[in-house]
Amino acid sequence: MAQKEDETEESRIGVFICHCGLNIAGVLDIKELVEFAKTLPDVIYVKDNRYTCADPGQDEIRKAIKEYKLNRVIVAACSPRLHEPTFRRTVSEAGLNPFLFEMANIREFSSWCHPNTPKEATEKAKDLILMAIAKARLLRPLETMEVPVTNKALVIGGGIAGMNAALDLAEMEFKVYLLEKNESIGGHMAQLDKTFPTLDCSLCIEGPKMVDVGRHPNIEIIAYADLLSVSGYIGNFKVKIRKNPRYVIAENCTGCSECKDVCPIEYPNEWDIGLGVRKSISVPFDQAVPLVYTINKDYCIECYKCVDACGARQAINFDQQPEEIELEVGTIIVAIGYDIYLPYDNPLYGYGKYTNVITSLEFERLILAAGPTGGKVVRASDGQKPHSIAFIQCVGSRDINKYPYCSNFCCMYTLKHVIQLKEKYKEDIEVYVFYMDMRSNFKGYEEFYQRARELGVNFVQGRVSRVFEVPETKNLIIHAEDMALGQPIEVEAEMVVLATAAIPKKGTGEMARILNLTCGADGFFMESHPKLKPIDAPTDGIFLAGACQGPKDIPYSVSQGSGTASRAATVLSKPTWKIEPIIAVVDPDKCRNVTTKCGICAQKCPYGAIKAEEGKPAQVITAMCHGCGTCVAECPADAITQMHFTDAQIFTQIRAALKTNPEDKILAFLCNWCSYAGADLAGTSRFEYPPTIRPIRVMCSGRVDRDFVLEAFRLGAGMVMIGACHLPYDCHYINGNWKMKARMDALTPMLHKLGLSPERFRVEYISAAEGVKFAEVVREMTEQMLALGRDKIKAENEKLRPILEKMLKRKKII
Amino acid sequence: MPLQMLKRDTAEALTLEWFLHVRNYRLILDKNLCVGCQICTLACPKEAIKLEKQPKIQGEKAKHAKINIDLEICNFCGICDILCPYGAINVTVNGEHVLSVVEKESFPQLIRNIQADTSKCPVDCVECEEACPLDLIKVTRLTADGKVVEDIDSLTEKEKAELQVKIDIEKERCPCCRICEFKCPEAVMRVRKFFHGKMLIHPEKCPESCTDCLDVCPITGALFLSDKDKKVYVNEMFCVYCGACKVVCPVDEALELKRTKISHTPVRSGAWNKALERLASPIEMTKELKAKGSQKAMESVEKRLGWKAT
Ligand SMILES: Cc1cc2nc3c(=O)[nH]c(=O)nc-3n(C[C@H](O)[C@H](O)[C@H](O)COP(=O)(O)OP(=O)(O)OC[C@H]3O[C@@H](n4cnc5c(N)ncnc54)[C@H](O)[C@@H]3O)c2cc1C
Ligand code: SF4
Ligand code: SF4
Repeated sequence: MAQKEDETEESRIGVFICHCGLNIAGVLDIKELVEFAKTLPDVIYVKDNRYTCADPGQDEIRKAIKEYKLNRVIVAACSPRLHEPTFRRTVSEAGLNPFLFEMANIREFSSWCHPNTPKEATEKAKDLILMAIAKARLLRPLETMEVPVTNKALVIGGGIAGMNAALDLAEMEFKVYLLEKNESIGGHMAQLDKTFPTLDCSLCIEGPKMVDVGRHPNIEIIAYADLLSVSGYIGNFKVKIRKNPRYVIAENCTGCSECKDVCPIEYPNEWDIGLGVRKSISVPFDQAVPLVYTINKDYCIECYKCVDACGARQAINFDQQPEEIELEVGTIIVAIGYDIYLPYDNPLYGYGKYTNVITSLEFERLILAAGPTGGKVVRASDGQKPHSIAFIQCVGSRDINKYPYCSNFCCMYTLKHVIQLKEKYKEDIEVYVFYMDMRSNFKGYEEFYQRARELGVNFVQGRVSRVFEVPETKNLIIHAEDMALGQPIEVEAEMVVLATAAIPKKGTGEMARILNLTCGADGFFMESHPKLKPIDAPTDGIFLAGACQGPKDIPYSVSQGSGTASRAATVLSKPTWKIEPIIAVVDPDKCRNVTTKCGICAQKCPYGAIKAEEGKPAQVITAMCHGCGTCVAECPADAITQMHFTDAQIFTQIRAALKTNPEDKILAFLCNWCSYAGADLAGTSRFEYPPTIRPIRVMCSGRVDRDFVLEAFRLGAGMVMIGACHLPYDCHYINGNWKMKARMDALTPMLHKLGLSPERFRVEYISAAEGVKFAEVVREMTEQMLALGRDKIKAENEKLRPILEKMLKRKKII
Repeated sequence: MPLQMLKRDTAEALTLEWFLHVRNYRLILDKNLCVGCQICTLACPKEAIKLEKQPKIQGEKAKHAKINIDLEICNFCGICDILCPYGAINVTVNGEHVLSVVEKESFPQLIRNIQADTSKCPVDCVECEEACPLDLIKVTRLTADGKVVEDIDSLTEKEKAELQVKIDIEKERCPCCRICEFKCPEAVMRVRKFFHGKMLIHPEKCPESCTDCLDVCPITGALFLSDKDKKVYVNEMFCVYCGACKVVCPVDEALELKRTKISHTPVRSGAWNKALERLASPIEMTKELKAKGSQKAMESVEKRLGWKAT
């Protein structure tokens, strides 16, 4: 990252003050601002324009840069969140590095929110300009880095979501590796009989897709394999995979099944949820893709009958070893799906204890014509078809003691099951459904519910309190609360089917570790932003599809599969990928990790972007750094610098802000994505609040060093506030806000002990939508500041100063 | 119903079971029949069977070892069932004793060659029935019209002469010790052993007054205590080479047991080769391999043992 060290160069600053029509000029005294700016050192040129962002305004900037050899440009106008990119382009068109530009937000932060106090608003604007100029002096040119992109993709998980992602990318002519843990792709959908709400046969619609995936020239299926490790970053991932031995040579196996026919050994088929069996050499189901047989050595007795049967094809090789392969890809799509909760631990339902209690997924295998019973729904206890079946919903789901979330598709698949039963066995079967709420809120789903009701299914709304077995008949008695009747009821059924919760796939945590993803409280992968980046993982270049991000049905999973393909293509279609230069850099000479085991930065970085190997200075992997600055604030040796938000730049802003009458001011650190945006919104909404606050923009609240707070109070600040995104999940940088919180939680009691009134330092969580809250907080803090009174504040500061000075001197900050 | 795996251990039997929704696999080890001979532990291709030696209590007879089977490893292939000389193990699928390894010719069966030419039987002879150390023989006499005669002494000589003798043998439980053949006065019984081998006791190595091997030997007469030196000796005539004695022998080299040949139905199978190798020796096995010319099996032996079967 190029930070050109031309300290000797003198600053030649140009300041452009915008009227924004009357938006700014209607409140602030522009003339006064111009005159003020002119008095400041290094300011070579000051100009006001009606609309700086309009073409003539931009032209003026470009001209002035050339004419006056300006090497720093300040625009005092609207929010940098709005026009910073515009003006960066403007200055770079005039040959100035775009990072030598700074904005003073005098519209959202002054004219718009202080319309009735123009004098004070103008004073505030002066401070904002002063702060911008102070920072500008220390700005350094930065270069946007470009990394080459490997235009191949890895899709992890060959369920319906992963298959769709792979197919779409392959159709866009990208090479796709499809990694599947199982012997075959297909996922849960390949285990289902029919699909709601149309009742088309699941494998009939999925089978052809599986074949397409298998045949596509751009897709390479790597099945029966495990992901070992991933390194690198967007555009440049290195992936290690272990292919597990099938003991069958894939290229030679024709899928003829002759080996299976002679194999004497059977074992429970996990594909059938252990309802039926498969041979020691077999495929999990006939339509498997790739159609390659696998020997399960846990059961095989090595009789070599299969070898004889295979004969000249010579596909069987008992000496096959695990094989490690390495791939290079530009993006990764994660689609590892979900698992089903098996309620062995809940004695309420008797699962595992009562023979005729099964889960819905077991039911799918029972009613499936190709299943172990040939599609006959029979009881395990006597092999007879039951005459009554009770379905129990929300087993484990929506249960605060187990899985508080709704598993999304259970209502619908139970409706499917009851309709199938009623249509198959008609009057010969009585069906009960015990449910809490029936959720049928997508296209065609409510109509499907209606169809079930018309078929005479007994829907009972209420929680089941207990299931008992009648020992003689192995029938089951269900005790429940019927909310419609308002009283407990008892129903006897010959079979009970439990709609159990969908839970995170086994191995999700391990996968999160390998890919540096985060899991939510529910254990499913977390998306980067719940609304605007619902299929992006927090790590750039990694995307999430299907039920691994939370339970979702087939249409939704398919859409996400295609969605991630298109997101991945935005990266894969480019020869190079630009990386923002606002990243962290470690000074190896200052880093403690060389002599002691430190590595704090590596632990705190939300993105795992720092490598701190023993005895070596920590190192930031540039392409993985998102530029939150958390590590910078955490580093005990101040060895890390965040480009464009250096310690020196922020300290100088603090000093500029508090140059005059510090005890009347609230110094605020606002994170770019939430609280700064919230403050902008207060301005655009014209919420008026007292002009007491002097905000400093940081990318993430995680960047706020405790030394910033100490320095502010040393300089006599009346109040200090840190604005962050809401806990727990709103942080734009995963959890920078949590790191800030921990830091400030430790600092606050110390400040109190030194005699600081508690109201003078506060951390506020303000979202981008909470303009009202921002205004409220400033109002409240101003009132508190007035209530404390200048004298008290000054007296406290006097007491604090020597201690703070000592602390800051020790760190050579002052 | 989710898969259930069960293991029950009572004084009478050890039962292992897989319950699947549509299938049931069961293995029952009848503890009254088991002699702790170790054949099954050697035969099991998954090494799921462990031998648990019983501690010797001073002053009491030695007890034969007990069998334990690991439910996690057992795959109900039934090879132990096939090879148990005493028929102590019974493997069934859905209640039926049909072993897939036999049906698919992936494992041979022992040949229990037991013939009884009852036409030569004297009607009042029950020598074989009395001789069988395992009570497997039942002699009955039938009248010409097939009725069972209970009290033979009440019949006239003429009636006796018309009687037919029937000998029922529980063959699956028979270790083929040949005692009945030896005791038969009329050469009616003809028994061929299925395990062939060599059994030797070196009395000089035996501890004073130790009779552990004799205590556990299920075949009366295969081992005997010599009056002269109070040491145990073998009568190889009756020894079935099961090895129950070898398991309990407290001294390493006092007892030498070697199986050299096993009579079995013809089959080419890697699993069998492995069993043979462990029950007899690699040499026996390679001999058999050569005879049958199984290339794949030969290769596997070469790899496993690191030498070429020439
Ligand atoms: C009883 C039941 C009935 C249902 N009926 C319907 C229905 O009628 N209609 C409907 O729309 N939805 C139905 N669903 C929901 C449906 O199953 C899901 O919507 C769908 O399967 C989600 O697809 P997926 O690809 O996200 O996950 P999955 O189907 O779970 O596929 C994930 C894939 O990733 C693989 N994988 C897992 N871990 C790894 C790893 N570490 N490395 C590599 N690969 C890995 C898995 O082996 C699997 O192939 C039903 C669900 C249940 C339980
Ligand atoms: S060698 Fe194993 S897989 Fe092959 S037939 Fe025999 S038991 Fe089955
Ligand atoms: S903590 Fe933030 S700034 Fe530091 S390396 Fe990680 S992403 Fe970059």
